[in-house]
Amino acid sequence: MSAPKISSDLLGAIGGVPRPDVDVVVDARDVNKWFGRLHVLKDVSVQVKRQETVVIIGPSGSGKTTFIRCINHLEKIQSGRIFVNGHLIGYREVAAAGRMRRPIAKLPIVGRGFGKPAGATKLVEDKEKNIALQRQEIGMVFQRFNLFPHMTALENIIEAPIGVRGMDHDEAVAVGRALLERVGLAAKEKVYPNQLSGGQQQRIAIARALAMKPALMLFDEPTSALDPEMIGEVLEVMKELAREGMTMIVVSHEMGFAREVANRVVMMDDGVVVEEGVPDQMFSAPKQDRTKAFLSKIL
Amino acid sequence: MADSRSFGTRRAWLAGFLLLLALSVVACSGQNKGATYHFQWDITFRSVFQPNGTIINGLWLTIGISVVAQILGVVLGILAALARMSRIWPLRIISNLYIWFFRGTPLIVQLTFLYCGPLIAHIIVWPTFSVGPFNFTDGAVFAGTLILGVNEGAYMAEIVRAGILAVDPGQTEAAKSLGMRYGQTMSRIVLPQAARVIIPPLGNEYNNMIKNTSLLYVLSVYELYTTFEIYANTTLIYFEYFVACCVWYLLLTTIWGFVQGKIERNFAKGTTTTSGGPSWRERLLGSRRRDRAEEITVLGGH
Repeated sequence: MSAPKISSDLLGAIGGVPRPDVDVVVDARDVNKWFGRLHVLKDVSVQVKRQETVVIIGPSGSGKTTFIRCINHLEKIQSGRIFVNGHLIGYREVAAAGRMRRPIAKLPIVGRGFGKPAGATKLVEDKEKNIALQRQEIGMVFQRFNLFPHMTALENIIEAPIGVRGMDHDEAVAVGRALLERVGLAAKEKVYPNQLSGGQQQRIAIARALAMKPALMLFDEPTSALDPEMIGEVLEVMKELAREGMTMIVVSHEMGFAREVANRVVMMDDGVVVEEGVPDQMFSAPKQDRTKAFLSKIL
Repeated sequence: MADSRSFGTRRAWLAGFLLLLALSVVACSGQNKGATYHFQWDITFRSVFQPNGTIINGLWLTIGISVVAQILGVVLGILAALARMSRIWPLRIISNLYIWFFRGTPLIVQLTFLYCGPLIAHIIVWPTFSVGPFNFTDGAVFAGTLILGVNEGAYMAEIVRAGILAVDPGQTEAAKSLGMRYGQTMSRIVLPQAARVIIPPLGNEYNNMIKNTSLLYVLSVYELYTTFEIYANTTLIYFEYFVACCVWYLLLTTIWGFVQGKIERNFAKGTTTTSGGPSWRERLLGSRRRDRAEEITVLGGH
C-alpha cells in the first residue's frame, strides 16, 4: 500500500466520508424495547440524513441513550426496524413459517406477546460476525470514554483499524497520528489514558472511533462526565466534525452545542419522541408542553 | 504497598521456620531422657550445597512438571472460564461439571484414580517420552503432569472468571462498537486487563503447584520429594534429609516469589500515574524515593 496522503481536515485524515447511494443514513421505524417489564422505547421513529447532525435531548430516563445504543446493537430491540445505510441492524428478517416458531425461546420476534400482530416476517438476531461488520460503519463515543487502559493513546486508535479492517501497521500509525494531531493531542501519542485528563481522553476516544472511517458517529453524552473547563475542547472537535459533514447523532445536555451545530433536535421523554424540529424553532417556540417544561428547567 | 508486604510476609515465615528449626535442634541435642541421636548435618549440607545427580534430576523434574502443569492449568482455566460464561448452555454444563469434579475431590485421589484406573482397565496406555537426558519409561510423568494441570485448570477457571468480571463492561462495549468480534475482544481487550486481577492469585497457584508436585510420589515419579523420601527411608536419616528437602522447596518458592513480583509490576503498566512500579531497591527499603521527596516538599511548604 502506498503512503497515505494526510490532508489537514479531520475527515481528510481518514479519506473522507464514505457516501453510498442511500441518502438516509439512519432510519429507525417503530422501535420498541423493554427492560424486563419496563417499556423504555415506545414506537420510536427517527430518520437521519447524510451529513446531518441530530441532537437528542430529554430528561434522564427518557430512553435517549438506550435508543442510540440500539443503533449499533449494543442493546437488543423487541420490535421495529433500524436501518443504517439501508442495512437492517442486528437482525435478519425471515419468513414467519405459519404458526411454527423456531424453538429458540429468546428470539426477539416482531410483536411477540406485546399485542402487536406478527407480520409475514419476523426478526431473528443476526450472526455475531455480521453484527460486528455492521458496527465497523458506526462509530460510538461513550460518556465514560472507555479507552483501553492498557494501551497508549496511539495504540488505542490503531487497534481496530489493524485488527478489524486489516490495515497495514504503518498506514494505521500514519492515520492515527494524523487523527491525534487533529484532536490536538499529537504530543500524547505514547501516553496511557489514565495519565490524561477527561477532555483529552474523550478526544482520543473520538479519534479512535474516526479511525474506523465510520459512516455515522453516535455520541452518548460525550461531555457529561467531564469537568466544566474540559467540555469546550471536546465540543470543539465535535463541531468541526459536524461542519466537515460527518453524520452524527448526539445525546447531550449541551443546548449551546445543539443550537449552534444541530440540523435537527429531537426531544424524547418517557421512551417517546415528543417533538422534533430545527434548533431555532425547538428552543424558541417548542410546540409541546413537555418540551417547554423541560427546556425551561435547563435553559 | 502490596509487593513489599508480601515480601515481608515471606521473610517472616522464613525467620519463623529457622527459629523453629533451631529450637528443635536444641531440644533434640539436649540431654533429655537418654535419647541420644547423633545429627549428621553434613548430609544436609551436602544435599543442599553439593547435591548429587539424583537430587538435581528430581529438582529439574519438579520444576519441569510444575511449569508444564501450570501452563496447562492456565490454558484450561481460561477455556473453562469462557465456557462457563458462554451463551451456549452445553458448554456451561461441561465447564461446571469439570470444575465441580476437580475442585470437589482430593488431588491425591484424582492422581491415583485417573492414573491407575484407566491404565488397569486397559482404557489408556499413558505415553512414554524423553526430554533431553530424561527418559520417562512408565508414563507416570506424563499422566501426573496432565492430572496436575487438569486439576489446576479447575481452580484457574474461577480465578480467570473473577478477572474477566472485574473488567469494566464498557471495555467490551467499546471493543464491540469498533467492530471487534468475540475472540478479538477477549484476547486483545478483556483478557489483558483481566490479567492484572489474575496474576497475583496465579502466582499463589504456581507456588501451590510447586509443592503439589510432591504428590506425584504416589505415582512413583522421582521428583524432589520422592528422591528425599527414598533416601530418608533407606537410611532412616529423616531429619537431616528432610531439612534439605525443605530448603530446596523454599528455594524454589522464594525465587518464584521474586519472579512473581516482577511480572506483577509489568502488568501494572498503564494503571498507575507513575511510570513503572518500585525498583528492587525501593521494594527492599520499603519506600520510594520520589514519594519521600514529595513529602519533604509538602512539609517544607512555602
